[in-house]
Amino acid sequence: MKRLRLAVLALAACLAVAHPALAAEKKVIRMAFRTAETGFDPQKIFDRYSVGICENLFEPLLTYDYLARPVKLVPLVAEAVPQPEEGGTRYTFRIRPGILFADDPAFKGKKRELTAQDFAYSIRRFRDPKLASPYEWLFENKLVGLDELAVKAKKTGTLDMDTPIPGIEVRDRYTISFKLVEPDFNFAYSLAMPNVVPVAREVVEAYPDDTMGHPVGTGPFVLKEWVRRSKIVLERNPNHRGYELDTRYADPSDPWDKAAIEALRGKRLPVLDRVEIYPIEEEQPRYLAFLNREHDLIDETPFEFIEQILPNGKLAPALAKQGVHVFREEAPETTYDVFNTEDPVVGGYTAEKVALRRAMVLAHDRPQEVNIVRKGQGMPAETPVPPGIVGFDPAFHSPQQEYDPPRAKALLDMYGYVDKDGDGWRDLPDGKPFTITYKYNARTQEQRQIAELWSKSMAAIGIRVEAAAVQFADLLQDKRVGKFQMASSAWTADYPDAQNFLQLLYGPNTGQSNEARFKLPEYDKAYEKSQRFPDGAERSLLYREMNRLILAYAPWRLGVHRVFNHLQYPWVKAYKKHPILYTNFKYLDVDVAAQQAAQGASR
Amino acid sequence: MTAYVVRRLWQMIPTLAGVILLIFFLFNWVGGDPAQVLAGKISNPEQIANIRKQLGVDEPYWYQLWVFVKQVFTFDFGRSWSTNEEVSRILLTRVGPTLTIMVPVLIIETTLAVTFAIMVAYVRGTLTDRMIMIVCTTAMSISFLVYIIVFQWLFGFILGWFPVQGWSESFWKNLSTYAPLPILLAVAVGLAPQLRLYRSFFLEEINQDYVRTARAKGLPEKKVMMKHVLRNALIPILTNIGIYLPSVFVGSFLLEVFFSIPGLGREIITAVNRSDFPVIKAVTVYLAMLTMIINLLVDVMYKFVDPRVSFK
Repeated sequence: MKRLRLAVLALAACLAVAHPALAAEKKVIRMAFRTAETGFDPQKIFDRYSVGICENLFEPLLTYDYLARPVKLVPLVAEAVPQPEEGGTRYTFRIRPGILFADDPAFKGKKRELTAQDFAYSIRRFRDPKLASPYEWLFENKLVGLDELAVKAKKTGTLDMDTPIPGIEVRDRYTISFKLVEPDFNFAYSLAMPNVVPVAREVVEAYPDDTMGHPVGTGPFVLKEWVRRSKIVLERNPNHRGYELDTRYADPSDPWDKAAIEALRGKRLPVLDRVEIYPIEEEQPRYLAFLNREHDLIDETPFEFIEQILPNGKLAPALAKQGVHVFREEAPETTYDVFNTEDPVVGGYTAEKVALRRAMVLAHDRPQEVNIVRKGQGMPAETPVPPGIVGFDPAFHSPQQEYDPPRAKALLDMYGYVDKDGDGWRDLPDGKPFTITYKYNARTQEQRQIAELWSKSMAAIGIRVEAAAVQFADLLQDKRVGKFQMASSAWTADYPDAQNFLQLLYGPNTGQSNEARFKLPEYDKAYEKSQRFPDGAERSLLYREMNRLILAYAPWRLGVHRVFNHLQYPWVKAYKKHPILYTNFKYLDVDVAAQQAAQGASR
Repeated sequence: MTAYVVRRLWQMIPTLAGVILLIFFLFNWVGGDPAQVLAGKISNPEQIANIRKQLGVDEPYWYQLWVFVKQVFTFDFGRSWSTNEEVSRILLTRVGPTLTIMVPVLIIETTLAVTFAIMVAYVRGTLTDRMIMIVCTTAMSISFLVYIIVFQWLFGFILGWFPVQGWSESFWKNLSTYAPLPILLAVAVGLAPQLRLYRSFFLEEINQDYVRTARAKGLPEKKVMMKHVLRNALIPILTNIGIYLPSVFVGSFLLEVFFSIPGLGREIITAVNRSDFPVIKAVTVYLAMLTMIINLLVDVMYKFVDPRVSFK
């Protein structure tokens, strides 16, 4: 027996030597994340890197087409994208039969099929006080009967997962219907979020203390190895049914689309066998690891090195010579500086108060922020809504946000903000001196530079702005309770609709996402009305009106939509950055021979 | 000696109490509310209150302090607030990579610093001595961060002698592949100040009467330096190593962050950034205890190095 085993081993070794391809054909991609992950319980996490991993381990009902721009919702585990019923208050999904969870001891050796009940359980989890989900807001005041369960749960400490509620109706093994409290034409987007995915109840109950470390989903990959905050290894899920690239919405003139279609023609996805991710917080080692070919691609190339990578906006010759590709992404996010509209100095809705804010906006040197602080990697924002988001209006121009110090001075003079005591600084119309404090996150260098720019820009028109660095947690708290005059902020799209951005100034959201504490009845009315319409001309008009009100009352100084550059070596195939999805591993392919030749040459 | 050790152990209790109070008040005073971070992008006061309740930070301060004291004495710091991982597991899994870097650093740096220091002290006042001191002063004036950036770029990327960053599961691979560059860096940075310090210890001893007497009696220079000077200079050297030793168990966060070493230093920075108090508490208390125990061991070792030392 022992001899036989030895013979088999020897034969295997000989085969591997004779056919190196047998041992070396594994398709592996290595890359870095800029920040360490926290864990992989999809209902518990909110940091983008953990969510990015969950995209590969779990599957929502819907997702976004990989190639379509602007983004397009497509079914994933659902059979179709549902049409809103009952005036936008009901959405019914039929789940594809035969979808399997990855194997786990919690399933006791049996294959476990995905059912409608798994979605019902997972959505209830968002409201479980024991879980304290950061995405609880997605299902607050949303599904009929769920708020009542949540109220009861506050008393008992845990949410009732079994009593049926009208808002989540499991009609049969594969059909689930959601009844909404009020119309919401964006509800389907929530069901495409990588957090709104099914988890198996048995798994959650088997590892109650460590759901973050036991992700078991129906996604194309499984978590093979996890050295926390150091290494994440994903491998192809053997239970996964596989996809085919949908090319219906591709742009035939887009070279990225063409290359992806070419690379993935006739292939079953995912093509990769393994993905290795290394969280590297510092930019130099992350970039050098890419240059050294230890990593195959680098997402969000560090701004520090942008002049070496893209001198004058063109890929550096040394990189171009190696065949490196650069994908330029205008991120679906907006940075802005918030005025607290309840503050006695910068707040208020009277003409003189609005004039002060508008003058400050005009005097803020945004071109310098874009060119110097952000090294040109940002597009000045005209509205809160970034490009690529449904409701973005490319024709909308905002002269109120242009850099124009003489206009700012004239506006201040007109409303009586002049230097009355001769100290060189402007005073309030009633003659009192004033200083405005600008709070920013102490941890980031970029934020410090932006704060200094505010002080400098305002000093040029005679307004004293003091920059105050505060801890991140304190900044969040101060903004939530309104303990600030001005503060830095940013928003990244949760889903690709303008509503996700415009809700940031909706009055009832004060104390939550409305950091400016902006309460303008016209704005609120337009916002509420817009919720009753699906995407179309009527809703676009309302969005335009809301944008106009934002510019007129200036609760924000709009910043930029950041631009990121993603680099890949030529052996990485079918790359295209999606504006909403964080990762694209399930669509990537790799030319192993080219990869090994290049990596071997560099070692 | 037993009475001395017992007395010193007793003295650790008020010190530890001071450390506990200091950490507790610092965290509550300047640490920020972790619930604000954990609540995500959109949350209402009720949700924040729920998170505060789950973390136990809504309890009265005296109760939170009592929980902290219990944790210190049971060595059970619960779970990380950001990842839900057991704190004890975090410490156990992170200390290995840190020691893989820091133990070789301590050994190499001390050996080189003592060897060079005794040699330089012996030729004090000569051109060699002056040149080495100039090099040391210059080396000390450059920021650690600059060393890291330059070494990583030069040895990792340009020359390709070492990987730019990385870590594996194999101890030997780490020691032979990933650790050498961070070790080289730490030794290069730490050597200059140590050499200067140890040189001054040796110079002080060389000028003592007993050295003159030894030489007058005709003892060979090698014996004078290695047996008499070295042995007497060992006490301040030992004290210095004792001060340095606790940091061996915590590591260098800059090295760990730049070279992707999953050690304790990097963990501490992550915990501070995420207001992850259980991890911060555990590491700080562990470091304080370690410092006190190492100090005690160093004091006990004085007796063996110098028989004139007595425990009172």
